[in-house]
Amino acid sequence: MKVPFSWLKEFVSIPQDPYELAQRLTMRGLEVESVEKREPAFSNVYVGEIVHMERPPGLDRLVVCHVDTANEVLPILCGARNIKVGDKVPVAKVGARLSGGEVIGRKKIRGVESLGMLCSERELGLSDDHSGIFLLPPHLQKGVSLGEVEGIRDLIFDVNVPANRGDCLSILGIAREVASLVGGRVELPEIELSEDEEPIDTCVDLDVLSSEACPRYVLRMLKGTSCVPSPFFIRNRLYMCGMRPINAIVDVTNYVMLELGQPLHAFDYERIRKGRIVVKVNSAPLPFRTLDGEERVLEEGDLLICDGDGPVAIAGVMGGENSEITGNTRHVLLESAFFNPLYIRRTSRRLNIRSEASLRFERGIDIGLVDYASKRAIGLMKETAGGTILRGKREVMYHEGEKKIFVSLSKLEKMMGATVGEETFAALLGSIGFGIERREEGAFSISVPSFRLDVSEFMDIVEEVARLYGYERIPPKIPVGMLRVAPFDSSLKKRRRIKEFFVSAGFFEVMNFAFFSKRDLQNHSIKESDGRYLAVSILNPVSRELELMRTFLLPGLLKNVSYNLNRGVRNLRIFEIGKVFTRGTDGSPEERYHIAFLLTGKEREYFWREEIRDYDFFDLKGVAEAFSEKFLIDISFVRGREPFLLEGTTTDLFLGGQKIGSMGEVKGETLERYGIEQKVFACEMDLQRVLSEMAFYGTFQEIPRFPPVVRDFSFYVDEDVPVELVREKIRSISPLIKSVGIFDVYKKEKRSVSFRVVFQSLEGTLTEERISELQASIIQELVKIEGVNLRT
Amino acid sequence: MEVDKLRERIEREIDSIEGAADLERVRASILGRKGLFSSLFEKIKELPLEERKREGRELNRLKEYAEARLNELRARFEKRGEASRLDITLPGKRPLLGTTHPITAVLDEILEIFSSMGFTVVEGPDIESEYYNFEALNIPAFHPARDMQDTFYLEGGLLLRTHTSPMEVRVMEAQDPPVRIVSPGAVYRHDQDISHTPMFHQVEGLMVEEGVSFSDLKGVLTIFVEEMFGKKTPLRFRPSYFPFTEPSAELDIGCAICKGSGCRVCKGTGWIEILGCGMSHPQVLRNVHYDPERVSGFAFGLGVERIAMIRFGIDDIRHFYNNDLRFLSQF
Repeated sequence: MKVPFSWLKEFVSIPQDPYELAQRLTMRGLEVESVEKREPAFSNVYVGEIVHMERPPGLDRLVVCHVDTANEVLPILCGARNIKVGDKVPVAKVGARLSGGEVIGRKKIRGVESLGMLCSERELGLSDDHSGIFLLPPHLQKGVSLGEVEGIRDLIFDVNVPANRGDCLSILGIAREVASLVGGRVELPEIELSEDEEPIDTCVDLDVLSSEACPRYVLRMLKGTSCVPSPFFIRNRLYMCGMRPINAIVDVTNYVMLELGQPLHAFDYERIRKGRIVVKVNSAPLPFRTLDGEERVLEEGDLLICDGDGPVAIAGVMGGENSEITGNTRHVLLESAFFNPLYIRRTSRRLNIRSEASLRFERGIDIGLVDYASKRAIGLMKETAGGTILRGKREVMYHEGEKKIFVSLSKLEKMMGATVGEETFAALLGSIGFGIERREEGAFSISVPSFRLDVSEFMDIVEEVARLYGYERIPPKIPVGMLRVAPFDSSLKKRRRIKEFFVSAGFFEVMNFAFFSKRDLQNHSIKESDGRYLAVSILNPVSRELELMRTFLLPGLLKNVSYNLNRGVRNLRIFEIGKVFTRGTDGSPEERYHIAFLLTGKEREYFWREEIRDYDFFDLKGVAEAFSEKFLIDISFVRGREPFLLEGTTTDLFLGGQKIGSMGEVKGETLERYGIEQKVFACEMDLQRVLSEMAFYGTFQEIPRFPPVVRDFSFYVDEDVPVELVREKIRSISPLIKSVGIFDVYKKEKRSVSFRVVFQSLEGTLTEERISELQASIIQELVKIEGVNLRT
Repeated sequence: MEVDKLRERIEREIDSIEGAADLERVRASILGRKGLFSSLFEKIKELPLEERKREGRELNRLKEYAEARLNELRARFEKRGEASRLDITLPGKRPLLGTTHPITAVLDEILEIFSSMGFTVVEGPDIESEYYNFEALNIPAFHPARDMQDTFYLEGGLLLRTHTSPMEVRVMEAQDPPVRIVSPGAVYRHDQDISHTPMFHQVEGLMVEEGVSFSDLKGVLTIFVEEMFGKKTPLRFRPSYFPFTEPSAELDIGCAICKGSGCRVCKGTGWIEILGCGMSHPQVLRNVHYDPERVSGFAFGLGVERIAMIRFGIDDIRHFYNNDLRFLSQF
């Protein structure tokens, strides 16, 4: 809500510095986001009064105006037609600067001297209007510097009005809060309308069919008016508040809405059929053209304003084209009403029409001010656009009693944690218009003013008192209470440990949005039969790139690789732990944590002592193996298939007989789709099982007291015999075999693999004979395997 | 010439050698061009021939002896690898160091602070129902407060939680008071520009028991600010509005960048908003069948990215999700 300081001052006198006031409003819950300075774009322009006009001979288009600027009367040549003796006009004296930068000098045309210039609004940079001289309001004193006139020089507060404070979407509402701050009071002036003899009753009938949807409705009427532009100071205020002037009738409805918070609607009376207004809730779908020219469909439950034949407006949302004010409007029927906020919210959201009016109806307006605003507007219309006001009004009102809340002061103080005292309590609430009735000591009955729709129970009063008392005056206190153990969520703690492992292994943690797109699924060649294809979709995504909830993490990481490659970072070790969203057997979404990690490029760009090779599959597998070992889970690796991994490298990860993920080298076609031109080795795992089985520490294992014995063996192992099978075979031969390592693999015609076997006994030193026996049985057992031969 | 004294001196010097560098120094001082023997040979030049011959022989023998001792030492050091002098200015080979994401780092700190005040850490789902995300929190359909949070909707009436507040309801439904929890997690809003990402992180906090007051809320959050940003950090509680708390407040801290004089980050106000909080709304308590006449509570929700931005001086929230290594490696 934009609040011109000059307008505010019409309601409450403000002794404070405006900037200090802004600060204090902020601390009362009406955050002043900015204070904008509005300054004139001209200088040396004064208010003058035309005292005499003459037409010098030989200058047919020009007149000489003698303008009184309080201390002198200046002769000024002027070609405009809209001026007459007695008008107050802006006088740019010799030396004045106009908004375009032009400096006014002495002029002489055919011997006639001109000492200045009368200006249009455009010449002063006040609006686009250049149709004539800017006629100033008669109440301005001559000789006053125009640049200092309020509204031309002003401050505009931009107030962030919270959603519950609809009453503050008006100058009046803000003024009430200001008054409470400065110790003043806002009094609305009585309005005396000069009405015509003709009563409104002869022109229009009013029926309100739903008191729940529309508890108050008022019609007033102005006859014989015309759609002139409104005067500058009305237009200027609309501009300052961010609204566009249209014509005097419409401008006045907006002006009064900004001023009092009551949205108003003006109908062209001659287009209202059968002289009748009916307010009702729609019962069947209807087509309707709103005044923005859009064809819309009114649904059942929309609140409508109808005439004798059909709808003329969607209540509180937008008027119809069939009844709108045009340049030819002569008679105006003015609506002022209270509509149930729920109806307005529902309809304005469905039709996606959000206006200043609907905003106020949605937040709730002051039912007590409906008629006052109507009087204010019709009076102002007559003043600016002319015409006669018909006598009286048409009104329907279903009055609700005043809201009362019982408050125990001690309970309130306990909730705040501060001692306020009866006197302060009553003074604070009284300052914002609440009625206070003291029932007994510390017990009050509070009546809520009609503009405070947000206040309905005890806590609302606590909030008001705390806010007015000042949050800063409530002392902070450390809560006492039983000491409790505060356990961390164990899944969170475990995920944190996994992150630590990856960080210590030289990986950088990345964090991606939980969204991806159909394109990502295609990029990874995910088929419809794949569980990952059935992603949960977002009905209103921010973009096509973010239309689905991710079903796996890798696409995000590949985008990270691409992003970094484009910026010259080619060596990456990254990981992410995050939620993926899949569907359960019944199709409903399920959330689970995944981990993905990848390697690309090499460990480091170079090292002077040795050559640094590129990452390969075994760098990746090593990380997975270490992960398994670190958290004491027994992950096994089995050849697998994955549509985006090279078949020869694809490895499934199993834990407890269940597949938990896969890894391998990412296919070139997938990489290409992300603009990646180097090898990427990636692994992704479901963490559910890992989190439930992982442990940080095992039980202590006896440290052997006797020395181990190490023996090396070399075998030819055919390529279709997995080395792991041979290794497993060796391990199974004796419990004395502590470990089996592979220290060399090379291939000429056949593949040769060298194993290093460590023998270890906890009971004693192994004898040479025992070792020889074991050696012999290893050889004997291994050569039994098809495709394995001893290398001699 | 006192040969014995000379020998003793040489022996002493050689015995004092502890390493390769010592060895080279001693060798130079004994055998070098400006060393001990050079000067001695220079001296005997002035002696009569006979004497010179004799002294010369003695000196030569001693010199040979010294050379032998030094060579022997050099050989020993070489064997131990101590003789080679490295250019220690060459760069070393560094172990690979990874980092956690700054959000993880800041989240850790936040949770630790509340954990130490007895708050239990719990987590909840990202996909929520209208009930938990809105209705139970006193935000019925069409409520203006729904405008504050542009929601992502999913099929089946589900949505992505717009805040971590649904966890308040889930926790209270599952247990009786007293409640002291914090709940971190990702939240989603339909928003994308320089200061908004469609996903970000929050930490929700809730404390409900008998006699909890606004003053307790101020106490707990003041401690949080002091622990997170330093003891001397200026702070203020500013009245605000949330449908599920009342009275509501926003907590601002003094802008660390301009120290309160006004800058771009704090929009010239000298204050930066870090979290929203308030006393639990009685309707929310009633919704979970707590009796607002008997218990009261406070709740807060803080933006993790926002805290991280202030903490690390980051000016664009999108950095967190670009995952540029040049960014990540700084934390």
